[in-house]
Amino acid sequence: MSKKKSSDNFEDKLARLEEITTSLENSEIGLEESIQLFEEGVKLSKECLSVLEKAELKVTTLKKDLSEINNLEDD
Amino acid sequence: MSEIQDQIFSVSEITKSLKFILESTFEKISIEGEISNFKAHGSGHWYFNLKDEGAVINCTMWKGVNNYVFFTPEDGMKIIVTGRITVYPPRGSYQIDVRSMKPAGVGELQAAFERLKKKLFEEGLFDEESKKAIPTFPKKIGMITAADGAAVKDMISVAERRFPLVELLIAPTKVQGAGAAENIVENIRKLNLLKDIDVIILARGGGSIEDLWAFNEEIVARAIYKSKIPIISGVGHEVDFTIADFVADLRAPTPSVAMELATPDIEELKNFIKDSYSLSCDIIGRTLENYRTELEDQISSYAFRYPLEKIRKYSQMVDLNLYKLVKEIEKRILSASNRISLLSKSLEAHDIDKTLKKGFTLIKQNSKLITRKNNFNIAAPSTIKFYDGEIEIK
Repeated sequence: MSKKKSSDNFEDKLARLEEITTSLENSEIGLEESIQLFEEGVKLSKECLSVLEKAELKVTTLKKDLSEINNLEDD
Repeated sequence: MSEIQDQIFSVSEITKSLKFILESTFEKISIEGEISNFKAHGSGHWYFNLKDEGAVINCTMWKGVNNYVFFTPEDGMKIIVTGRITVYPPRGSYQIDVRSMKPAGVGELQAAFERLKKKLFEEGLFDEESKKAIPTFPKKIGMITAADGAAVKDMISVAERRFPLVELLIAPTKVQGAGAAENIVENIRKLNLLKDIDVIILARGGGSIEDLWAFNEEIVARAIYKSKIPIISGVGHEVDFTIADFVADLRAPTPSVAMELATPDIEELKNFIKDSYSLSCDIIGRTLENYRTELEDQISSYAFRYPLEKIRKYSQMVDLNLYKLVKEIEKRILSASNRISLLSKSLEAHDIDKTLKKGFTLIKQNSKLITRKNNFNIAAPSTIKFYDGEIEIK
């Protein structure tokens, strides 16, 4: 199910890229599927590289009380 | 002296004198001894005895003052306390009001370290099975470290270089001196309340065993063990091993290495992506080439070069078969019609014979049967056919 879905998550993209390369190496698949996978792979490579090129380190500081932090766990 | 010998004191009076003498004489003294009966009271005050082979003395260390002790005292530890003697008249007792304390030697801390290490090891806090996996691609790293040290700067620059995709959350922490252990514990707890921290780095730059002591405290060890988020320790230098290192899910020799262990290398990632890309290109190129070759083989085959050959061949076959078919049908029709005429003739003949036998005759003129009066030509010759023969009439 998640095969086709390309996530925004860098890690997922990278994993999908690896999966595509492995599939392409498998000679069982037909021409049309090969081309589809190839196109997806090229797109993913570009996206991943662009994410890495554009990345900027974000540094924040934990406040004394956690009040500013709104993503606390429910419990 | 004789004056005192003759004088009769009340209990309060003599106690008051003792209090004055003792407290003024021993206003600031240092005593070395071994801790026994150590109790950290809920009020925050510490009560314990200091003893040697021959004597015991009660000690108190008040809340606030004991904040400045960098280690947690425990029974059997040899320490040097500094303070003053106080007398408590209602109970007739004296004690040391401890202002500061330190281990009697580095050996004492080493011994405490070994004791705690053994205890926690036996409890299973160092077990490999309970160590949590460090994620390969962390999105957010929590850093428990001093906000202004060299360690934090080093770690930030490592993250910047290796994996700028990550977000760092610094939890400014007292990592040295009294209260450091409590502060570390508190920040481990706080970071565990956040749901988006993938890994925690617990770090401090190099220092003496006293400087690093917070990382050898039992409460820190237990907090690390309890943390739901994996923790990488990076305390001191290569040679320094703290209790925190043993409990941590991963031990790094220094803060910088801790950050390296927490982050993937961007250059490796780029290479991986580029390799995947060129491998995909190679494969798809090869696949297309294979299909093209196959297609060319097909096109250059005999059938494609002379496409009409086959059609003609088939067309000829069709013609031949059609011809055979027509012939056959004609043959069958002919034989059938022959049979029919033969049968009808014999049928016809059979019918007339019967009628002639009864006495009827047939009249023919010009070989045709005359069946109506109007067709009869009186002037023409006729033939009368009887059953048994014909008569010509001229």
